Amino acid sequence: MVYKLWTKLLRGQLLLLLLTALLSAGFVGQVFASNILTVGIQLEPPNLDPTQGAAAAVDEVVYANLFEGLTSITADGSVTPKLAKRWEIFENGRRYRFFLQDNVRFHDGSAFTAEDVKFSLERAAAADSVNAQKSLFEPIENIEVVSPTIVDISLSHAVGSFLTHLAWGDAVIVAPETAASNATTPVGTGPFMFSRWRKGVSIDLLLNPSYWGAASNTNEHNLDGLSFRIVPDPTAAFASLLAGEIDGFPAYPAPENLEQFRRHADFNVLVGTSEGETILAINNAAPPLNDIRVRRALNYAIDKQAIINGAMFGYGQPIGSHFPPHHASYLDLSNRYAHDVVKAKNLLVQAGYAQGLELSLKLPPPSYARRSGEIIAAQLNAIGVQVNIENLEWAQWLNQVFTNKNFELTLVSHTEPLDLDIYARDNYYFGYDDAEYKKLIAKLSVTNDLQERDGLFKRAQRKLSEDAVNVFLFQSPKMGVWAKGIEGVWVNSPVQANDVTAVQRYHSSNQLSNELDSGSSKSVVAPFVASLLGLSFLLVVAYLAYRAGANFVFRRLATLVITMAVATMVIFTLVEIAPGDPAEFMMGLNAEPEALSALRTEMGLDKSVLHRYFSWVGGALRGDFGTSFTYQSSVAQLISERLQVSLPLAIYALTLALLIAIPVGIIAARHRASVVGGAIMSGTQLGIAIPNFWLAILLVLGFASGLRWFPVGGFPGWQAGILPGLYALTLPAIALAVPQAAILVRVVRSALLDTLNEDYIRTARAKGLSQDEALKYHALRNAAIPVLTILGLQFSFLLAGGIIVENVFYLPGLGRLVFQAILQRDLIVVESVVLVLAFATVLVAFLVDLTYAAVDPRLRSRRVV
Amino acid sequence: MSNTLIVRSSLSLSFWIGASIIFLVVLMALLSLLWTPYDAVNLVDVGARLQAPSWQHLLGTDYLGRDVLSQVMVGARTSISVAIVAILLGVGIGVPLGLLAAARGGFIDQCVMRANDLIFAFPALILAILFTAWLGPGAINAIVAIGIFNIPVFARLARGPALSLWSREFVLAARAAGKNKFRISAEHILPNIANLLVVNATIQFSLAIIAEAGLSYLGLGAQAPTPSWGRMLAESQTMISFAPWLAFFPGGAIFLTVFGLNLLGDGLRDYFDPKQARSQS
Repeated sequence: MVYKLWTKLLRGQLLLLLLTALLSAGFVGQVFASNILTVGIQLEPPNLDPTQGAAAAVDEVVYANLFEGLTSITADGSVTPKLAKRWEIFENGRRYRFFLQDNVRFHDGSAFTAEDVKFSLERAAAADSVNAQKSLFEPIENIEVVSPTIVDISLSHAVGSFLTHLAWGDAVIVAPETAASNATTPVGTGPFMFSRWRKGVSIDLLLNPSYWGAASNTNEHNLDGLSFRIVPDPTAAFASLLAGEIDGFPAYPAPENLEQFRRHADFNVLVGTSEGETILAINNAAPPLNDIRVRRALNYAIDKQAIINGAMFGYGQPIGSHFPPHHASYLDLSNRYAHDVVKAKNLLVQAGYAQGLELSLKLPPPSYARRSGEIIAAQLNAIGVQVNIENLEWAQWLNQVFTNKNFELTLVSHTEPLDLDIYARDNYYFGYDDAEYKKLIAKLSVTNDLQERDGLFKRAQRKLSEDAVNVFLFQSPKMGVWAKGIEGVWVNSPVQANDVTAVQRYHSSNQLSNELDSGSSKSVVAPFVASLLGLSFLLVVAYLAYRAGANFVFRRLATLVITMAVATMVIFTLVEIAPGDPAEFMMGLNAEPEALSALRTEMGLDKSVLHRYFSWVGGALRGDFGTSFTYQSSVAQLISERLQVSLPLAIYALTLALLIAIPVGIIAARHRASVVGGAIMSGTQLGIAIPNFWLAILLVLGFASGLRWFPVGGFPGWQAGILPGLYALTLPAIALAVPQAAILVRVVRSALLDTLNEDYIRTARAKGLSQDEALKYHALRNAAIPVLTILGLQFSFLLAGGIIVENVFYLPGLGRLVFQAILQRDLIVVESVVLVLAFATVLVAFLVDLTYAAVDPRLRSRRVV
Repeated sequence: MSNTLIVRSSLSLSFWIGASIIFLVVLMALLSLLWTPYDAVNLVDVGARLQAPSWQHLLGTDYLGRDVLSQVMVGARTSISVAIVAILLGVGIGVPLGLLAAARGGFIDQCVMRANDLIFAFPALILAILFTAWLGPGAINAIVAIGIFNIPVFARLARGPALSLWSREFVLAARAAGKNKFRISAEHILPNIANLLVVNATIQFSLAIIAEAGLSYLGLGAQAPTPSWGRMLAESQTMISFAPWLAFFPGGAIFLTVFGLNLLGDGLRDYFDPKQARSQS
């Protein structure tokens, strides 16, 4: 009976899938009116206000696109008028008069005037300013509003690069009314305005229809919007580009793939220069590294070209100081400490470390750091320095290394342009404190004469190199990868920004259009199918419940409720006792104690444990799991979004597993004594032993990057149609299904053999039925029960266990959600997802029991475990 | 039907195949303590990077020019030691718990068994990730995360058969002789369930190998520069299209080890329990 039931079910499901596939075929080729550029970025900005905090990731999203300054930096690094259309300079550079654009409005509709300029710059220079480049504004003595479109700025002394400083992201003009909320809902004057921020996923900007600048929307190739997608993982970056999910990466994280993209017909590779000096930073303040001989020994020990070749696949230029080679005042010191193991060892001996020494190397997450770190460890090992690598998350790195200077060696890229001054700062994390160097920088800041500046730049470079402050490794390349049809992106990176205001996007045929607002064009098919499937599922459950009888159902339901109640307590306790304060983690570096406590209040962390437990459980009962700390959206919605991927994937995989396992299992049972049966059983041993994520990688190797039958990864979303969705899930489903199918084959076979040993089969055989007939009419039905049990277990396993496979294929499923939430200490998401998964497990067990009871009346009367 | 009726009194073919595979893997791991073809960690030779398998480098080289064979050998050590300690943790805590539950019954038994049911309701991998992410990534914490889930497995495994042994004559005799429950558990019950435990430890061992690989794939296992199979797989992923051997060999090593352990487990089960072999093998 059961057998029939679920073969019927299976047939019904297949029919439905087929039907919906046909229906949806018409929706696949939908043409979207909007032209959205999707840009991949590796690091998510902590906030969206470029005038507070030092994170380069902020400027990379908002600079020039959303916020504008009086001046701006162009693609070739020169300074150009922006909100100031022109200026006059008086008193030998001590007074500037700016003439402002007069038709500019902020995104909230308010007019931009000289008052906003005065407000913004005074705010940046103020005593309580949180501006990361506050020192740039210190020379400003007075700002005077002459008229709404004219503003005078007087300086205490002439500043050579004042117009450049005004072009920095830290000097953008903000409105007094909205300045306080720019961190989350930025309001600027740029050609794009803020639309939404899905934490951990994307930051979306829409075209500003009333932009003051060149009327940009003159042809269809101009952009209607911008979506910055956060893709921290190089593998995911690769997959998302090939899947057409992302138009391009201004800074592609995996140099090893550039060659492939170069050969690929659909992509352009743009390698340019950046302002990033990648350095092995040394803690100059603490022994043994406060000894210049040790630092020089490290410098001699390191082969820069080997690091560039190994970690960067040849991309990058060796440097010898903290200065970019493409700058006119660059001094080539890259051979000051030419790789020399003997010299390095001698220096160590002189410093008293003849026996060698042990150093820790703390690495932030980017792959350039992790890879270079391994090479450095090996190179230092050659001179007798034992390096202990510690891999840190960004938040940990900022806290331990940057803020608390608790490190010996670290490796990081400094991306600010012309940032020689950081070596003159007190308390900067290098711990370099040199009076002579400070004097040099002080002089540089007040020098206007170009030739004199050039000399000072060179002296500063030489000084850093002579003092071996750090090991200066290489100038980071800017490695852009863009889909063909995207025109006008910057090749070089003179500022930390992705200015896409001149970009045009031509639709290319293989790219699936990206919809900024998925709601507007969502096909009606997917929800329809989902509700149909849901309804038929409910009907089946109702039927089973009816067959099983009220008595059984209620008894079993009571067990379910008790189990879930205990489960909530366990989950809550587990998450509660986990180390790490989520508020501290979210605030990141330099968190003010007041801000921290405010955030803790907002997150409800100041309430009692019991209070939080009951509000969580109470909410969960109503389907309200609260709000995610990092995503700032409802957890229930997050989970349901991710379930739309994980649930179909689990069902798909299980369906495949069943389709393989039942016929193969029957064959194995029938031919158990022959070579065929033996071969099948050996095959299942192989299938069980294959780790599903390895199989996933092999499938990608064979069918995605090899034969190109399937996408490398990514998920287009059901709104793209049912077929494209199923297509994207096919390889992941196969990877998940094979090991499960192997297990199922064994279960089907042994269940069949067990029933074949039963008396009623012997009776049937004695009555003259052939073995095949006995199998067909009697054994199959009865063998269904153990198979169903295993199937239930497998379903729960697949729902949660796809986590690594989701990672391989870059699928936005439940597994990735919970993985990221764990790393980001997003407690409420972790709690809720684990609860949902536990509930699914318990529920499936309940349904399996229900099916037994419906089928086997003997079971209704007693408790089934 | 014919061959299923043979009662096996000798070790089966699958045992020998599995045992030889595991012998080789363990040998490789032990050998790596003394010798590897190249220094697996420190021999970074960028000039020789990404070389396909050759006589110089049997399994090729990685993106830093390190010998893949040497890394796979040291990786075996990492995987095996993490898995073994995790299993020992599970056996060391789980078996006494199970024996205690069987010996005392009542409330303790209920507690142990209900805690057991509960743990099985949770997604093991996700909880393991939770533990390692919060305790900090590393081999030791991976051991703890994997070990915790083996405690209920072994508790349950020990309890069932122990319970039935308590009603056997020789145990009753021991009780009559005045031995306390602790001594009976240790001297009479444990030796009688040892076979079963060995068989299941083998199976659990293979699951622990996969779990370790999964955790290191996600960056939560043994940290660089210690070679580990899972991390090698993760690092290979952006390079598979031009250096497929980087994904092939570490994954193959995981696969072979798990395969060998499963065969070994099956073989042992057949040997210890020939009656069950009839329907299972």
